[in-house]
Amino acid sequence: MSSPAVVSAPSIPRGPRVGRFIVWGIVGVIGLTIVTAITVEFSFLDIFRNLTRRNLVLDGLLSPDIGQLWSERSLSAFVETLQLAILGTATGGLVALPLSIWATDYGNPYVWLRNMVRIFNAVVRSIPDLLWALIFVTAVGIGVLPGLLALFFFSIAVVSKLTADTLDSVDRQPIEAALAAGAPTISMVHTAVVPQILPAYTSFLLYGFELNLRASAVLGLVGAGGIGARIEFFRGRGEWSEVWGIVLMFFLVVFLVERLSVSLRRRLV
Amino acid sequence: MSAPRIPQRPVDWVRRIGTAVVVIIVVWSLLDLEIRWERLIDLPRDMAILAGLMFSNMPLERIPSLLGALWESVSIAWLGTILAALVAIPLSFFAAENLVGRPAAWLMRQVFNVLRAIPEVILAIALIPIFGLTPMAGVLAIAIGSVGTLGKLFYEVAEAIRRGPLEAVDAVGGSLIQRFRWGLLPQVLPEYASFVLYRFEVNIRASAVMGLIGAGGIGNDVAQALRFKEFGIAGLGLVIIILGTIAIDYLSGLVRNRIIRGPAGVSIAVAAP
Repeated sequence: MSSPAVVSAPSIPRGPRVGRFIVWGIVGVIGLTIVTAITVEFSFLDIFRNLTRRNLVLDGLLSPDIGQLWSERSLSAFVETLQLAILGTATGGLVALPLSIWATDYGNPYVWLRNMVRIFNAVVRSIPDLLWALIFVTAVGIGVLPGLLALFFFSIAVVSKLTADTLDSVDRQPIEAALAAGAPTISMVHTAVVPQILPAYTSFLLYGFELNLRASAVLGLVGAGGIGARIEFFRGRGEWSEVWGIVLMFFLVVFLVERLSVSLRRRLV
Repeated sequence: MSAPRIPQRPVDWVRRIGTAVVVIIVVWSLLDLEIRWERLIDLPRDMAILAGLMFSNMPLERIPSLLGALWESVSIAWLGTILAALVAIPLSFFAAENLVGRPAAWLMRQVFNVLRAIPEVILAIALIPIFGLTPMAGVLAIAIGSVGTLGKLFYEVAEAIRRGPLEAVDAVGGSLIQRFRWGLLPQVLPEYASFVLYRFEVNIRASAVMGLIGAGGIGNDVAQALRFKEFGIAGLGLVIIILGTIAIDYLSGLVRNRIIRGPAGVSIAVAAP
């Protein structure tokens, strides 16, 4: 006699084991957050207390001075900002093209020069816009020139980084064809590389212009010209309605430029 | 029979006119800006002098205190990024058309757009009078500034999710929370984590900069040193900023690659712009 077969209920399959990378990642994120919070003495209570206290900045935000939109001095400062962004992008972007081509293995036959260019690009990229401005203000004095120089280097950083990524993924066959036909490096780049990256490069220029426009608005805070100088002026006098009025104006311009730039970039790529 | 002629290149009028317009705008900017171009002649010399002052005799005994300031900058960037991510993740679901529908998504996106348009430095100068010259002003400026960008990146990911896993959870009778945990999170989390790290790299630069206007961190030390013409300290600070950002970019790039590509094929990532 045999006992009836016992059919046990199927057990729920166990989930996959959590990987070590994820565990350490979570521990790392939480640990880093706690340590950094201690470093800056972070406290939500502090935020709450400070933001609920009456202060001139928030009062000004609630009643921005719209008159800044047609104040002549603010407008001319704005035109200056636009011109700075345009010139900075045009000059920096032009320099960025050869710099990023020289950093590739096919665009530059000399290994040492290639490495020099790569190091130069990495250093330029690691310095933020406002720091460039401060350096040039120290070197050549207050004015529009240090602002332009800062945007020049900032554009090199942005455009060369993006272009370098595109250059990494170009089709190698036209390059081989040009080299097989006996083209020197410069003709090879001109006929086989540039046509491939030109649409992307143009769209990076436009993107760089958007970033430059934003950057150029704050250059004035360290004395490098543009609308930032007006912001700094009103901030120094504690006239926050005027500051917010200018920021509002800045919004409008950035918004318009971005719309234009985005639609142009869509067409390009 | 005559030799075949080389066919004529087609004329792309849109491109020609576009190029002409751009050139005109650039030339106008060039002529209209009041720049003392003669200063450019002296620039290489001035820069050489400045570089000499900054890098010839750097006070190496200041390295520990500057590294401390760099750590403060890193802390500001990290906390700001984490705060922004915590706010942006829930908000981004409200900006994804496939999750909440068009009108609500549109509204949320405009909020992101506005936040994205404000430069962090402007936020910082507005927050400094409220919080004083403390790192907290920097943390909040970075957090507010990053919500817009992260939100935008996040909702684009959320809109690209596959419906399959969601349907699978529904098919076995999962609750709303289980739907979120098993259907949505595994799809978006790797990319979210990678975007947060990317934004952290960007924010390191932003927090270094905000010190220049007094919101804490290493920028503060560099700005002070330049103001008081202690060029050696400024130079040392600059070197530390550059090496620090490159090192963090590298580490963060490694982690990002590991997140996106999985355990195999870890390769060196490129730095953020």
